[in-house]
Amino acid sequence: MVKRLMALLRGEELDRGLNAEVRFHIEMETEKNIKLGLSPADARLKALRSFGPMEKHKEETREARGVSWFENLIADLKFGARALFKHPGYALLAVLTLGLGIGANTAIFSVINGVLLKPLPYEHGDRLVVLQQSRPLSGQPNVGVAIAEYFDYRERAKDVFDGLVEYHQMNFDLINRGEPDRVNTGVVSHNFFDLLGIKPIIGRTFVQSDDVKGAEAVLLLSHTYWRTKFGGDPNIVGQVFEMNDRPHRVIGVLPNVPHYPQENDVYMPVLACPFRAASEGQIARNRRAFSALSVFGRVKEGTAPEQAASAVESICHTFTEDNKQIYRPETSGFRATTVPVRDALTSGAREMLLILLGITGLILLIACANVANLTLARMLGRDRELAMRAALGAGRGRLIRQLLTESTLLAVVGGAIGVAFAALTIGMLTTFVGRFTSRTGEIDLDPMVLVFTLGISVFTGLLFGTLPALGSRVDLVSALKQGGGQAGSGAGRKRMQGALIVAQVAVSVMLLVGAGLLLASFYRLQRVETGYRSEGVLSAQIFGNFSRYPNITELKKLYLPVIDRLQAQPGVNAVAITNAVPLGGGAPGTTRFEIEGRAVDDPERRPTTDVRVASPQYFAAIGVPVVAGRVFNDLDNEESQRVVVINKSMTKYWEGTDPIGSKIRPVGQGIPEDWYTVVGIVGDVRQFGLARETVAQLYLPLRQSPFGLAGQVLVRTAGDPTSFANLLRTTIYSVDPNQPVENVRTLDDLRSEALAAPRLTATLLGIFAALALLVTLAGIGGVIATSVQQRTKEFGLRMALGARRDGVLMMVVRQGLTLVVIGLVIGVIGALAAGRVLSSYLYQTAPRDPIIFIAVAAVFVVAGVVACLIPARRATTVDPLIALRAE
Amino acid sequence: MAKLDLLQGTLDLLILKTLALGAQHGWGISQRIQQISENVLRVNQGSLYPALQRLDTAGYIDSEWGASENNRQARFYRLTKKGERQLKEETAQWERMTVAVQRILETEA
Repeated sequence: MVKRLMALLRGEELDRGLNAEVRFHIEMETEKNIKLGLSPADARLKALRSFGPMEKHKEETREARGVSWFENLIADLKFGARALFKHPGYALLAVLTLGLGIGANTAIFSVINGVLLKPLPYEHGDRLVVLQQSRPLSGQPNVGVAIAEYFDYRERAKDVFDGLVEYHQMNFDLINRGEPDRVNTGVVSHNFFDLLGIKPIIGRTFVQSDDVKGAEAVLLLSHTYWRTKFGGDPNIVGQVFEMNDRPHRVIGVLPNVPHYPQENDVYMPVLACPFRAASEGQIARNRRAFSALSVFGRVKEGTAPEQAASAVESICHTFTEDNKQIYRPETSGFRATTVPVRDALTSGAREMLLILLGITGLILLIACANVANLTLARMLGRDRELAMRAALGAGRGRLIRQLLTESTLLAVVGGAIGVAFAALTIGMLTTFVGRFTSRTGEIDLDPMVLVFTLGISVFTGLLFGTLPALGSRVDLVSALKQGGGQAGSGAGRKRMQGALIVAQVAVSVMLLVGAGLLLASFYRLQRVETGYRSEGVLSAQIFGNFSRYPNITELKKLYLPVIDRLQAQPGVNAVAITNAVPLGGGAPGTTRFEIEGRAVDDPERRPTTDVRVASPQYFAAIGVPVVAGRVFNDLDNEESQRVVVINKSMTKYWEGTDPIGSKIRPVGQGIPEDWYTVVGIVGDVRQFGLARETVAQLYLPLRQSPFGLAGQVLVRTAGDPTSFANLLRTTIYSVDPNQPVENVRTLDDLRSEALAAPRLTATLLGIFAALALLVTLAGIGGVIATSVQQRTKEFGLRMALGARRDGVLMMVVRQGLTLVVIGLVIGVIGALAAGRVLSSYLYQTAPRDPIIFIAVAAVFVVAGVVACLIPARRATTVDPLIALRAE
Repeated sequence: MAKLDLLQGTLDLLILKTLALGAQHGWGISQRIQQISENVLRVNQGSLYPALQRLDTAGYIDSEWGASENNRQARFYRLTKKGERQLKEETAQWERMTVAVQRILETEA
């Protein structure tokens, strides 16, 4: 094979060699003959004669080199290009259709490649795993790892891991040249970056001595933070910043690699985190102290991932058995396992991407079918040409190869257009997938994607080239005898065209049903009753840094004056502080609680609730209706009776009795054992997602809250809330000039953000389905048009014999509609079977929603009639006399 | 005696056998075949070259340019390891076939 290729590349050189070799042979033979006594002329003649037919031998030698197929290919390509240039309309339509189909696939594949296929951009990324703990029996799929647990794993799993490292994220204020800057801080083991194989671009990463008590506090900067905040200052290493009331020295800058599990501005070793350091002292008394860690490990070379997972499982089993009163394994099912980091990172996007790939694959099939149909129609006019070539000695195989070369040529040009199309859309797609996975930084049209595109282009070319070739058994005699226009309208070809239309309709129906379902779901989601009024409300986060506001008592010195001063601003209707804004992200908390008189002994079986902290005007500010009793007022303070408000969903735990007046208490680590009286019931709020059913929620008054909280300010304004943003900031600065104000957003924005993913999904599929519909209708129209053209004479005859115009019209439309209906039936069956894959993306919409199916069918019948009518009208405008004279 | 036409496929075997004696250029191969077969076999000299190219593509022989006995540029062919194996195999096959044919011919009618 290599020799053949080399021969191709060095064809001319080899020819020169062959000529020289033959010349040498003839000369030698001539000399021999001269020695035998012949005259030089005779000697040469005899030599030539005994050599035999020279050109034939040379040609055979060249063929033995394997060049001929290549030369044939070049000839086919030249011929194909000429043929296509002669029919620019056909070529353009085909290339554009294919470009769209291939482009959609290229774009989706580039995303799949970047998200699912590429190895993680870390050394040994394929061996990185994340440790996951859960309590499946008490409904907690994800439980953070505590320090003591991490130490257990680290000590006991040394034979399966190269190392285990911990990670958690904190928000600290970094005083950067006088201005407070709230930074996302990754708190990591000293060997975190070594384990991931990340080398700094400046300075160094952490070493063991950075992570001991009393060590100098050091920081690593992320590439992005270094570029945006310090302008890529090359002298950054050694600079000192104030953080948590201590000086921190920068020791290095990380390269521009995607961060996992979250993006961070800076990194610090674990003991530099005041919370983590303080908690480590408590682990002797409290095994679950600081259960907020993520733990990663690199599996040893040659160790199977399952081995690592089972080692972790058994270590977890041991410590839960040793501490039964803490873990209660029988009722919690507390367990641990490991998952490859790459899977954990992309699990949210995998299904969506595969669905999209399936959809674009279907689009490509439609494009293929359409171009195959175009090609079939065009072959009507080529029958004479093909027959002529066959008569001149081209074999059937040779003719098919010519057709395939042309179709592949078209497909490859289509592929090039597809790559351009993909390059244009890839940015939008990346934003889209970013809603399902954080791993989008490596999406690119890289060589792997281009190879894929080339592959599907060639495959596409062969596919749509083969179909017409099969349908066209060239009948030499009849093709040559007939005139060019009407040659060879064979039944085989018609059947093939019909089958292609049916297939296109079927696939388009499936896509349209999918798009319809998503749109219906989106419509319902958009109108879902959220339980609060988002319009006119501005939100912002003011999280007092722990160094200045170490506990709730201190935090209230920030929060309460902020409420008062904002309230005094003109145009403000209501102000509140809470711990999380609706649809602001996050998952519901699962704090266990106890109702007085309904005690449950096993703590694992106690009901759970999501605890919110709310200042008095919270419910008024976001318009949550009061169902019964009262909400908080200014009299619910530190000294007064402890009170709570619950939501409607929580009342189920009272089993029909009135909760108001009864007492409950949240239970758990660090929660004071106070009893709270239920004073009111409020409506349910879709706090964690529009499609997410409301969970039981419990509201504590801000002034009685035992917990600290990252304060979220909510301001309901009379006018446009965005115009209030500046006043909000200055008012907060008037209380504390060093307090960062973050995430200033309106609740409307948050809500629209929550709709972004389903909106994009529905839009994307809607565009694809519309494309499919358009291409299919064009296909139907095209087929009917050619058929009308072929039957001009017949129509003329019919009308001459008295057929009415609308009778002819009906005949043509019926022909097209039959195909549409067959395709429709197949498509509906396909959609019924395949609808399930969409079910997790649908909100209150059944995958077999009859209304959608009926609507799609109606659209297709109407569109099909229109697509047939346009060419069919031509049939009826035929002047019988002209039609009959046409031959 | 009339010269014999070469049986289909035997040319390759003869070339390999000739080259087993040492590297040689095209003309030399044709001379050697004629000499050894004592001018009984008639080889169309030109048909040697497609055969050489076939054997080269198959990897049985190799070639390089060098100086001929009268100091002219000539392309020399030589047997490769793969070619040696092929020669052995084809020789054995040839022998089996001639024995078989011989037996059929010797059978009394």
